[in-house]
Amino acid sequence: MVTHAPQASASSREGSSLVLTFSLQGETFAHDVARVHEIIDPLPMTRVPRADPFVPCLINVRGAIVPVVDVQTRLGMRRAADEKAMRLVVIEVPIDDEATKVAMIVDGVNEVIEIDGSAIAEIPELGSRWPADFIRGIALRGDELVVLLNTETLFRPRRSPARTLN
Amino acid sequence: MSAGQSPIDTFLSEAAEILESLEGHLLELEAAPDDSERIGAVFRNLRTLKGSGEMFGFSALAHFVHRFENAYDAVRAGRARVTPGLIDVSLRARDHIARLIEIGTDPVENARIERAPEARTLVEAIDACLGAPGGAGDSSSPAGRATPGQPAGAGPRRYELTFAPGLDALRNGMRPAMLFDELAMLGQTEIACFTDEVPCLDELDPTACHLAWKIRLTTDRGRAAIEDVFIFADDGAVTIGDAGPAEGTDGGAGAAGVPAATTQMRTIPSASAAPDPDGRGAGAGAARTESVRVQSFRLDQLMDQLGELVIAQARLNRIADQMREPGLTGVAEEIERLVTGLRDATLSIRMLPIGMVFARFRRLVRDLSGELGKDVQLVTEGGQTELDKNVIDSLGEPLVHLIRNSVDHGIETVERRRAAGKPEQATVRIVAEQLGGEVLVRITDDGAGLDAAAIRARAIERGLIAPDADIAPEALYQLIFEPGFSTARTVSNLSGRGVGMDAVRAVIGELRGTVEVHSVPGRGTTVTLRLPLTLAIIDSLLVRVGKGVFVLPLPSVMECVELPAAEAGRESGRSILKIRDQLVPFVEVGHLFGFETDPAREARIVIIAAEGKRVGLVVDDIIGQHQTVIKSLSAYHRDIAGLAGATILGDGSVALILDPPALVKSNPPISLEAAW
Repeated sequence: MVTHAPQASASSREGSSLVLTFSLQGETFAHDVARVHEIIDPLPMTRVPRADPFVPCLINVRGAIVPVVDVQTRLGMRRAADEKAMRLVVIEVPIDDEATKVAMIVDGVNEVIEIDGSAIAEIPELGSRWPADFIRGIALRGDELVVLLNTETLFRPRRSPARTLN
Repeated sequence: MSAGQSPIDTFLSEAAEILESLEGHLLELEAAPDDSERIGAVFRNLRTLKGSGEMFGFSALAHFVHRFENAYDAVRAGRARVTPGLIDVSLRARDHIARLIEIGTDPVENARIERAPEARTLVEAIDACLGAPGGAGDSSSPAGRATPGQPAGAGPRRYELTFAPGLDALRNGMRPAMLFDELAMLGQTEIACFTDEVPCLDELDPTACHLAWKIRLTTDRGRAAIEDVFIFADDGAVTIGDAGPAEGTDGGAGAAGVPAATTQMRTIPSASAAPDPDGRGAGAGAARTESVRVQSFRLDQLMDQLGELVIAQARLNRIADQMREPGLTGVAEEIERLVTGLRDATLSIRMLPIGMVFARFRRLVRDLSGELGKDVQLVTEGGQTELDKNVIDSLGEPLVHLIRNSVDHGIETVERRRAAGKPEQATVRIVAEQLGGEVLVRITDDGAGLDAAAIRARAIERGLIAPDADIAPEALYQLIFEPGFSTARTVSNLSGRGVGMDAVRAVIGELRGTVEVHSVPGRGTTVTLRLPLTLAIIDSLLVRVGKGVFVLPLPSVMECVELPAAEAGRESGRSILKIRDQLVPFVEVGHLFGFETDPAREARIVIIAAEGKRVGLVVDDIIGQHQTVIKSLSAYHRDIAGLAGATILGDGSVALILDPPALVKSNPPISLEAAW
């Protein structure tokens, strides 16, 4: 799977970053590889009632209870009916200053690539399908468009209004 | 921090505990000035502080405590009495000691603080209380060495002591000659020194202690007094054997050979000073070595491991069930029994009485009422109620806050109380009690109550409610827990409270507890905290709802009944069941969660207790009992009403733990009133 990774710490090298690319409904997305813990096959999921559709389920990853994140709902995409090819990318994200493991549902995992900082363009406001808040930028690789996700914003929990008065 | 603590850290944590215990004893003494056991306890607290302070280089501390100790020595000997003035000074002195400990061992700082006027004032105040100048620098005048002794009339007894300090004892500051002097003050001593272990000159390390002693002591002061002398000796270095009554006496005082000084001592009866006839005594700390000091992170580690074990054991059970191999089933059952025992033992180690936190509130209320010119008494009940250590640790701050608010804002001035026809002395009451799987802590004051109008105005100002909203006072009161209320400005203009109440709620919420306030204008306010008994492992009931398995904490489950088909089919919207002549409202968990219910189910109702009322939860099936290791939910799910956490079942799947009271209260709410 790792094709272009010269060394693991290359993400810190100036100007370029190592990202893991994966597909969601035929589009290619990328996430900073440094935060990726592991990639696992689908596990039995436990639905959480009343949960934000963004985080609908929990799974057991070797003894740790990990929330499953459906980024498609946040990116405004419909879930594909065919879930067979699904994989889970377990990443660690800071939530309220607390390192939290989440499992991101993806259709398939592609590869780890190095993206040069200068190759990252801001996403054009017009013609974008995705909320700009959650996108760090886009990069072209050959003919392929890679959408870089913004970890900081994408995984931020929505504050439930239930906390205030009922 | 990994393995060990540095000795100085141990001293600091020990000192903090001693200061806390000292404060408690002093406040008790204020109520019962003649309690000789307390006086002895204060004296021992001080002595320990002095000794270990000296050992770790807290010289100013040691000097100061020495004076303080002398005062209580005099009280012990009956040369002075406990007066309110002495208690007052003692409490201030205690605070001064706390500051001295903070300063640390820096010699310059130590010297500076020793010359500081406050230290002098305190020392003078202590001496003044005694009505006599303190023996400057002299640790103990012979007449001052009285200790809580045996019951009066027990007469002098002979003790055979052996004292064999370790090689390091001298380097650690032990001075045998001083100890023997102290022993000599207790009675008549015969001391023999053993030099067998002293090596030849070539090998002699002059800083090591190679000597051992045998001491025959005749005293009427009892074993505890002897143990006091050796309070700093290593455990095991001292043995104290009781050789029976001194010869030639029949229990009377003034036996031949006993120095005259001892006969004029007052013997103070003390239960703990009974002689130990079997001579089992392991020296100074005999009574204290029954408990072991353990760093709390080790307990947390133990708990984590136990959690894993419980989950692994559930997996084993499941495999045993599938294989139906009698041998394996037997072992699995045996292991389950052992794990349950281990769990209960581990949890009980972590349980501490809530009274530990109560102790410091007496001081708080005492000081606050003094500052504010109010007369407030604190009444605590249920101090023996036990809670998980981690809960206790987090509970102190919120309780201090609530009590401070009660005394500061809730309770009126003496004049206003008099005008209102109330007793001038106000009462703040903290009551703890266990109710099923919860512990309730109530903080009640008999003050003016919350000002509904002021809260309403504030809520409208903060945009929390609409200006024309029709809200019952009880609902209005809960608004004080909203962040909008926690501004300093509200202190003065709200005759209720509201300073940092949102912080209180946040801390209690983190402990998976809830907080509520009730108030009657003119009569007072009660804040109720509901806390879970433990944060780690609970007994629970597994139920199925739709395709999901959920966990109900067993303590909240009262009984399980079948849902009569007739009731289930009813579409009238009525959901009340008659159980043994009692009407119990019920609710479908599936509906609350928007799940499809299983049409082929055997619907059952689990009756739970929610806020003291019985409510039925309809589930599709009851699977059985389960030991549940509680794992907290992530930030994504923490706020969902009705969920208390998650756990891993024997088959490796994740199940959610329900919080029945919150579930019942949550939307869509079912009316608890309907049935009453």
